[in-house]
Amino acid sequence: MKHVVVVGSGASGVHFAQSALDNGWRVTLVDVGRTAPAAELPQASFAQLKREHPDPAGYFLGQRFEGALFPGGKGEYYGFPPHKGYIFAPLDGLALRSRGFDPLLSFARGGLAEAWTGGSFPFTPDELRDFPFEPERLVRYYGVIAGRIGVSGAVDDLARFLPGHEHLAPGLRLDAHSEVLLGAYERAKPRLNRELRCFVGRSRSAVRADEREERHGCTYLGRCLWSCPREALYTPSITLRALLRREGFTYIPDHVVTRVEADDANRVKRVHARHVANGAALELDAPRVAFAAGTLASSKLLLDSLLAHGGAAPTLTGLMDNRQVLVPFVNLALLRKRVELDSYQYHQLALGLERDDPRHYVHGLVTTLKSALIHPIVQSVPLDLASALWIFRNAHAALGLVNVNFHDERRESCSLSLETARDESSTLLVRYEPAAQEPERIRSTLRDVKRALRQLGCFAPPGMTHVRPMGASVHYAGVLPMQREGGDLTTTPHGESRALGGLYFVDGSTFPFLPAKNLTFTLMANAARIADEAFGR
Amino acid sequence: MKNSSDERRPAAPGPAAQAGAASHVDPLLERECDVFVRYLSGTAPSDYVRERYLAAHEAGVVEPRGGATGFERWIVRRASSATWLVRALDAHQRVFANGSLLRRKLVLLLALLEVRAPHAEALDTPTGSSRAAMLFVLAWLGVRFALTVLLTTLVLAPFQLAFKWEARA
Ligand SMILES: Cc1cc2nc3c(=O)[nH]c(=O)nc-3n(C[C@H](O)[C@H](O)[C@H](O)COP(=O)(O)OP(=O)(O)OC[C@H]3O[C@@H](n4cnc5c(N)ncnc54)[C@H](O)[C@@H]3O)c2cc1C
Ligand code: SF4
Repeated sequence: MKHVVVVGSGASGVHFAQSALDNGWRVTLVDVGRTAPAAELPQASFAQLKREHPDPAGYFLGQRFEGALFPGGKGEYYGFPPHKGYIFAPLDGLALRSRGFDPLLSFARGGLAEAWTGGSFPFTPDELRDFPFEPERLVRYYGVIAGRIGVSGAVDDLARFLPGHEHLAPGLRLDAHSEVLLGAYERAKPRLNRELRCFVGRSRSAVRADEREERHGCTYLGRCLWSCPREALYTPSITLRALLRREGFTYIPDHVVTRVEADDANRVKRVHARHVANGAALELDAPRVAFAAGTLASSKLLLDSLLAHGGAAPTLTGLMDNRQVLVPFVNLALLRKRVELDSYQYHQLALGLERDDPRHYVHGLVTTLKSALIHPIVQSVPLDLASALWIFRNAHAALGLVNVNFHDERRESCSLSLETARDESSTLLVRYEPAAQEPERIRSTLRDVKRALRQLGCFAPPGMTHVRPMGASVHYAGVLPMQREGGDLTTTPHGESRALGGLYFVDGSTFPFLPAKNLTFTLMANAARIADEAFGR
Repeated sequence: MKNSSDERRPAAPGPAAQAGAASHVDPLLERECDVFVRYLSGTAPSDYVRERYLAAHEAGVVEPRGGATGFERWIVRRASSATWLVRALDAHQRVFANGSLLRRKLVLLLALLEVRAPHAEALDTPTGSSRAAMLFVLAWLGVRFALTVLLTTLVLAPFQLAFKWEARA
């Protein structure tokens, strides 16, 4: 039986592993793999938790109050629940320095997508133009992945940007605010489409409405941000759990991979790892290795490996991420209405702005505010806290947020490199410089988004738009682009490294272009594609 | 002061209470907790909220990074004497020192109130006013805020200077 070692159990790693197993390969998955705490009061809704949890402050804010957001912080409108701290906890020995970029890494079972918001948006053939193969070779895997994880949505006005695919289930029950917005869109549609080239429709989310296998359907508990206790919202650890029961699959958690070793012909032959707690070394012989540690960690692994193999670590260029701008809005029709807490919490609608170049499409996730911690929002109102609270009470049901995403392209000035110390430890240096035309692009797009909101009966309060720092969207890609032909720092259309044969990159590292859409659905599809094409039977 | 609906709940001591934190309760902190909660919600804090407020201070999460200045501590002491003073000083700090000690304490209390019934529901229920009344109140809140900031700036300026002077000396 042929054998592959996979590094990382995130969205990319588990779907690569599943397809490789399906193809008859033996798979060993090495992972740091921090685990989630057990779900508390799994049947309780968001409001019930506040009534029934014996220590709700501990649950919502944390024993050390790490979930409380204080004024003067980064200007975000929500903080991460304390029990999700394990997802972002740093790893000792993985040093990182950055300029112009706020990097976020995960060493959890399931990786970053244990905290994702489930947005699952297929790329169009235009957006896949730089990928060195026929788009159809990737596009068909959207259906495969949707069948595995469960994606709900609709083929509606947004289909021009978000093509339909197999296994797209009907969307969840809309919350009242999203319904009002969709109704307003129907009325304003001719003008919005014509004048602003703006289209609104159902978002696409990796959430199930029906029961399947061990997962329950969504019952609108409204605690998605606090981790869905019913597993209706997909996370990669669900796939990992299923893999653990399969023959031919071995999971090695609590180990950090430090590098791969190559032979004289520059082909990988061994994986080096160490135990996270006691540092004990682990070596695994492997003629084929798949890196799925996330773009930053996978790149660091390659650089460390090249350093050990040839004595030098080059600079990888072309790091990409989606710039995100948060535009809060108030829907005047819903002022003084009671908020509906028992709803799906994340985006149920999306907004698309067409651009002359279809690759410059602008993607907005429209999240209406339902269950949420209110103190981060109330403190941002430019009034004393009691007055701000009075306004919030009357405006809660009317509040929403458009998370506007912009595309990114590979540029020399955005790079990853290694700095080594005397003790041979290395630090990953992340550098990011936005494109020169970015400020103007953001300005003109925001003008259109705000005009669109006005036509939907909403207004965006001045001074509250927040340009998130680069790195915040956590859609990292691009440093080892797939190309038909290229130098050592590129990969083949199967994501195989041209520097070290037998080493595959099955995460975002190899994307040659990053459209404005959240990329994880495509990460999973691409990982499954590589497994089928390069790890076939 | 105890909140009656909270008393019916099964006792749920937080970690600070379990560790015996209640044995050295700071009466000044308790007092400011009471006044600040009245300012935010119009009611007294429940035992749970009070206990968590003290625990947050013990955990050291309330102080701004780099520590609070003498002026910030003085503002907190003044604010804890009456709800109208909290409003005035909160407005001033919102404009001139958003991340100050008083603002941090108030936001912490808001966070504690919003996670625990029955405060949570009360904080999140529309006031039931008509559209016209709402617009009127909105305008009033804006005007009152502006006037308050103006007035507190004038009143606090000499004190602020004195604290700066003292710190330099
Ligand atoms: C709050 C939030 C919301 C998001 N929402 C969306 C969304 O709606 N839609 C969307 O498309 N995307 C979203 N994302 C982004 C998405 O989560 C990531 O794109 C995706 O999880 C990346 O998956 P990955 O498998 O490539 O890498 P990761 O998720 O980073 O997984 C890396 C894995 O590798 C392991 N690992 C790393 N280094 C080592 C090592 N040296 N040795 C051993 N193991 C290692 C880790 O333990 C982990 O299991 C969101 C992200 C966040 C944080
Ligand atoms: S609303 Fe969110 S938390 Fe509740 S069942 Fe649905 S997906 Fe899970």
